[in-house]
Amino acid sequence: MTIDTQASDADLIARSLAEPEMFTAVFDRHSAEILRYVYARLGPELAEDVTAETFLAAFQSRNRYDGGWPDARPWLFGIAVRQIRRHRRVEARRLRLLKSALADGPTPDHGDRAAERVTAEQLGPRLATAVAALPQQDRELLLLVAWAELSYAEAAAALGTTVGAVKARLHRIRVRMRRELGGGNPINEEYDDE
Amino acid sequence: MNEITMLRDLRPVPPPAELDALRLATRQQFVAGTASKRTGPRWRMPVLAGGLTAAAAATASGVLVLTSSPAAVPGQHPTAGHAGTVVTTAWTVHEYADGTVTIYLRQYADPDGLQRTLRADGINAIVRPIPWVHRTVVLPVAGHQQKKAGNHALPGTAAPTCVYAHTDNAPAAVQHAAVTIVQQAIPAYFIIRPAKIPHTSALFLAFMANVPAGSGTSNLAMKPVVLRNTAVPACVPVRLASKSGPAPELAPKVKTRPTAAPKAP
Repeated sequence: MTIDTQASDADLIARSLAEPEMFTAVFDRHSAEILRYVYARLGPELAEDVTAETFLAAFQSRNRYDGGWPDARPWLFGIAVRQIRRHRRVEARRLRLLKSALADGPTPDHGDRAAERVTAEQLGPRLATAVAALPQQDRELLLLVAWAELSYAEAAAALGTTVGAVKARLHRIRVRMRRELGGGNPINEEYDDE
Repeated sequence: MNEITMLRDLRPVPPPAELDALRLATRQQFVAGTASKRTGPRWRMPVLAGGLTAAAAATASGVLVLTSSPAAVPGQHPTAGHAGTVVTTAWTVHEYADGTVTIYLRQYADPDGLQRTLRADGINAIVRPIPWVHRTVVLPVAGHQQKKAGNHALPGTAAPTCVYAHTDNAPAAVQHAAVTIVQQAIPAYFIIRPAKIPHTSALFLAFMANVPAGSGTSNLAMKPVVLRNTAVPACVPVRLASKSGPAPELAPKVKTRPTAAPKAP
């Protein structure tokens, strides 16, 4: 078996229907990213299991993959989100722990974005509270954009919705969070990555 | 700064070593899951019957086998420069793009193949089997090695005929940089960073290989260490007891001290 390292995920997944080992390359390309995301949301205890479950579910449903998406990230993150959903209590505890850790004080290594990081850490406990208070679907969308760094289009594909719906929901989420964080500065910039 | 970037800065990130270990464990669980979904809900690494290679089993059952180069065929060993994963029934060696190599030992077996595979990954590896027999032995070496193998050796059990009791190891800082032992007992996980092993050093690993199950002893195995040089360590022979006689007791170590000279008045 040879794997073309330049092949798109869609090509590899299509080939994996006849040659299952082709899915190896998809795993190797994206497992670290999915693992980091699951780790951030659920912590180290479940990161391994949930990531493996994500790829197993992907492997088993690869015959339903939409070949129109060359990059499998949105599809994989969508599956990961559904797997994470089964561990709501763990995530709630994780957010409480995050809030406590942030309340204990800033971490020392801020690198070249020291000012922004200090600001984030000062507001961190309130931010964690606000994230925990979001409805689940809103939290999933926000964290796909913030922690998985998906674009609006990718987040929409992951959640099975439209880009317009994602934009509208994100706007609503940000308004709500801004209100809970006290409004005004420093949260006064538009998120214009799209 | 907005909510998105603030949240991004607060994302919990695993330390690199933990991420390595998690990636390896995830990979193993994924492989096992693709295999055992056919037979049961629990994920287990497939245990292959003797003589049946992983490749043959994979072909027969449609099991996903993680390989990423033609050389990386389960049950076979690459001759040079493989990339990706080599899977055998006994162990899995995976080379990551950043050069990190992980070793997953399911069984103590095939040390020669493991050495060849590690060398193909650019690691000057020395993997040695610790010879063993079904005998009662008394180890002449001191310390934990004696406790580990000697005191538990009973007639009819597998016991080493020599042990690598004294290896000339590189400094601890080199060990820590080059080797992470995620789990030492079988199934064992080791993370090796070849770039951190000095060119004048070698990675050394030894274990009692192919001990049949139920031999009445656990395998003696050394954790991987970076040697100070590339010389193969000597395996110190152990004294074998009589086959027919009772297992001799280990003589208690008596430390003798020179009698103190009487103090001068």
